[in-house]
Amino acid sequence: MFGKPLTAALLGAAALLVSAPAAHAASCCGGGGGTSLILPKFNHEMVGLSFEAERYDGLWRRDGSWVPDPPGSDLNQYRLNAGYARRLGTNWQGSISIPYVWNRNEYSGLRRNTDGFGDASISLWYETFDNITCVYEVNSWEDLKPAVYLGGMLIVPTGVSPYDSVDDNFDITGRGFYRLDATMLVEKTVFPWNAGLELTYGTYLERSVNQEYGRYVEPYKKELGDRSSWSVNFGRTFTLESFNTLTATLAYTDLSEDEATVNGKTDPTTGFRKRSVAATLAWATGKKDWVVKGTYTYTPREDDWGENFPTTDLFSISVNHVLR
Amino acid sequence: MAINFRFNRLPFYLLAAAFALALSGCEQTDDLKPSGEDKRESVVPGTTGEQPGQVADDFSLPNTLGETVRLSDQLAGGATPGDAVVLYFTMWCPICLSHSDHLLYDIVPRFTGRGTVRYYLVDYVSGSITPSRAAELANGYGGSALVTLVDAKQEVLNQFDAAMGTVVVIDASGTIQLNEDYRDGTELAAVLDEILPTP
Repeated sequence: MFGKPLTAALLGAAALLVSAPAAHAASCCGGGGGTSLILPKFNHEMVGLSFEAERYDGLWRRDGSWVPDPPGSDLNQYRLNAGYARRLGTNWQGSISIPYVWNRNEYSGLRRNTDGFGDASISLWYETFDNITCVYEVNSWEDLKPAVYLGGMLIVPTGVSPYDSVDDNFDITGRGFYRLDATMLVEKTVFPWNAGLELTYGTYLERSVNQEYGRYVEPYKKELGDRSSWSVNFGRTFTLESFNTLTATLAYTDLSEDEATVNGKTDPTTGFRKRSVAATLAWATGKKDWVVKGTYTYTPREDDWGENFPTTDLFSISVNHVLR
Repeated sequence: MAINFRFNRLPFYLLAAAFALALSGCEQTDDLKPSGEDKRESVVPGTTGEQPGQVADDFSLPNTLGETVRLSDQLAGGATPGDAVVLYFTMWCPICLSHSDHLLYDIVPRFTGRGTVRYYLVDYVSGSITPSRAAELANGYGGSALVTLVDAKQEVLNQFDAAMGTVVVIDASGTIQLNEDYRDGTELAAVLDEILPTP
């Protein structure tokens, strides 16, 4: 059987899972969506805190061509996410996460700083595996079995959207719609290497709208388009002193959202796509009860890396702590 | 009754409190419980204001070539009268550009030949003519049917209680026919179809 440090390392591998870097909309378009925490197998409770700094630099038009932001603009969004995950059963776990968002927008002729809660998330995860799937060496087909998580997430519109009582678009910290996501997360570790795949499909719930930026309008129904994303990642773990570990991971994510509908009619001005690459460095204690991760997400300022969406660089640092 | 407070649950309690605070935020209830109730206040036709049915106050703004564009000049009896004025408020964001592309490539051709319509992009973020001109050119609207107006002090933005993506239609009499988010352009097309002369 495994020795204690190795067992701890294997148990904690899930804590290092690299979720697909969330693509957040600019403050002009909503954003600040919560992210999901995943509790390592056999642990019972975990808290997480992350800070994200996202800098906007240009955008992609609908045809995929990249254009810069207006001269003199400096657009940033900062998010502090607090999360809590708890085991609900042998193979079940749930989590909640809520962000607080700061919008810092400066144009050559306008400066606006606003803040508020973003959209919260409630997640439920099912682990399809009963035992640790991380191995040191592959001796049989059984050793290749990955860890597969099936998840559902509800985005709750706790943020400020264009359909709230707000002054203008600079106050926006959320999209204003409930969304249901289904996610499959596949992860395999053969020490020191790991690889993962994440597939997500989300659908927004239709809602009534009777005001836009605080001004009442003739009521109508609106539904944002379905959202899908896929992400792959590949990494290597380095063992440090006292069995602490350092894991370096590279990820690629492709996110898209279909066109919205207004009163059942497709809105041709909506929908988007964004592709990005991310590099993550995660440090974990030998017991894996503390994990500190830093991630830099980058998208080239080039044509066809996105459509109808802002171009951003995102730096995030997170601390997750297993309570028990 | 004794309250059994467990310190190791403190993070949970704090997060639950934050969650409750977010859910109970006074401004957020509109999204948590969306309403389809029509809450528009009735307006007295002919009064001055920003609502449909009201008359727009006159304004003047420079375009990106430095020429002054005055609303009253575009109305019946003005120096260069037309049948309608369309204002689109832009901050050159992805949604704004998607809307203004739809305006330029769908709406403008659809109503070409049906009277005189002046289409304006109202830039309320650039602050002066030079950066506004640069944004106009970078986004491909230089010399197009969409003329960019520079609302350096956000006066016209405030006059129409507008925001990013707002579209305003003013008819030849100066009456506001539409003032709302552009959405998919359907309402804009319907209003123009109603007020422009039939070919």
